[in-house]
Amino acid sequence: MLDVGRHPNIELLAYSEVEKVEGEAGDFKVTVRRKARYVEEDRCTGCGACAEKCPTAVPDAFNEGLGDRSAIYSYFAQGIPSTHTIDPDHCRQLNGKKCGICAKTCQAEAINFEQEDRIIELDIGAIIIAAGYDIFDPSLIPEYRYREIANVVTAIEFERLLSASGPTEGHMDRPSDRAVEAEIEALEKKAKKSQKALDKLEKKFDEPSAAFYGKYQAGEYKGDEDRKKWADKYTSHVKIVDPLEELKKKAEGFTVAKRLAFIQCVGSRDFRFYPFCSGYCCMHSIKEAIIAQEHELETHSTIFGMDIRAIGKGFEEYKIRGGNNSNIIYVRGRVAEITEGPNHNPVVTYEDTRERKVKNQEFDMVVLATACAPIKGIDTLAKTVGVELDKYNFIKTGSLSPVDTTTPGIFVCGCAESPMDVPESVAQASSAAGRAAEIAFQSELEKEKAVA
Amino acid sequence: MSKDILVIGGGIAGMQSSLDLADMGIKVHLIEKLPSIGGKMAQLDKTFPTNDCAI
Repeated sequence: MLDVGRHPNIELLAYSEVEKVEGEAGDFKVTVRRKARYVEEDRCTGCGACAEKCPTAVPDAFNEGLGDRSAIYSYFAQGIPSTHTIDPDHCRQLNGKKCGICAKTCQAEAINFEQEDRIIELDIGAIIIAAGYDIFDPSLIPEYRYREIANVVTAIEFERLLSASGPTEGHMDRPSDRAVEAEIEALEKKAKKSQKALDKLEKKFDEPSAAFYGKYQAGEYKGDEDRKKWADKYTSHVKIVDPLEELKKKAEGFTVAKRLAFIQCVGSRDFRFYPFCSGYCCMHSIKEAIIAQEHELETHSTIFGMDIRAIGKGFEEYKIRGGNNSNIIYVRGRVAEITEGPNHNPVVTYEDTRERKVKNQEFDMVVLATACAPIKGIDTLAKTVGVELDKYNFIKTGSLSPVDTTTPGIFVCGCAESPMDVPESVAQASSAAGRAAEIAFQSELEKEKAVA
Repeated sequence: MSKDILVIGGGIAGMQSSLDLADMGIKVHLIEKLPSIGGKMAQLDKTFPTNDCAI
């Protein structure tokens, strides 16, 4: 990533979109919209002081909504470019409210609320589409109760929980427990505020609130307005503190998730959604189970799948190693349903096809190995660029020309073409680069010929 | 001079294509919809089968 940002031959146009493509192979005219960041790219140092002070909290897309970011943000900590961006949908200043705290904080004077989208035009020889993919939305499968049961998460959400730079710093805290902890935090803030108000009153009347309240209820101080206010403040304070203590007691029993279930083929190899195999999910689940066990040695994982497709260099060995060293059990069977058991534990109902029995098993957390779906907006992009899509909305290619689109001079690589893992994406990317380079150099050769 | 290449998408595939082309001495314009490049792979903690860091 860093290499891309630094390479003298690469012009990085982040936060930009293709508006129009005209022309043909060797001579495309491309119009690009550079969206307004409201932050001057050449001034912002990426220090993050603005994001620290920004009062607005927005669910963080990079962390799959498991954490918050501010309205002025860098997409992720190591993001390239490190230039911050103001989210125009959530920024107070841009939505007509009084704010501008970031502008006051920024020492580089990089904030510019007046910035507008810029349109640039490029002369291009060839185009490579590497638009990527989207994660299949598992809430389309009602029997898995994603979003209904807090501790059912997608593989990419689990990835963020495993990450040391993620919202839990690599601890496998369960989403249901995290919700309670967030509630405790909010109540603590409230309690602190009301305690402060009580402290003032206690000082004024030189008496502890509890003792005063006893007397107040016994009928003393009738008609005393000041003391009535104090009594009201005290009762509302108790209403915050009591549930807070209860939640705190509950939170003492929280542990990280140690019994994990991974459910394969969520959306893929399923004729209701995508009949194809997404290819990488089996290995992804094995990897997550191995890493989870590295983080917490007592972790036991069960991977439910029709079969484990470990096709690739070193993959089968990796699968066996997971079973031998990382407490992974592979169960052949498709999960029929997930229900919620006691303590927000998901209960998995499945058929163990080896024993020919329907079984129920309780877990701390369930991870859904979601299908690789075509990226949202690919139809618009395909129309703009002028290439055809296949029946699933991946970019159409031929079996003997896997990086050539239906339009000469436009190539494709990675999951925009079809589901594939990282090594395959890299290989296809180099292949597409080679094909594009042919065109780039062809025009040079033609010029030389013309001169000769 | 060779012609410039446009790469749409700054994930692992787009970055690899861009670097390959740039190393050949070709000028590349890399477009990313989001504020930073990295794509889905940047969200991954580790990659299989070597458990290497994704970033």
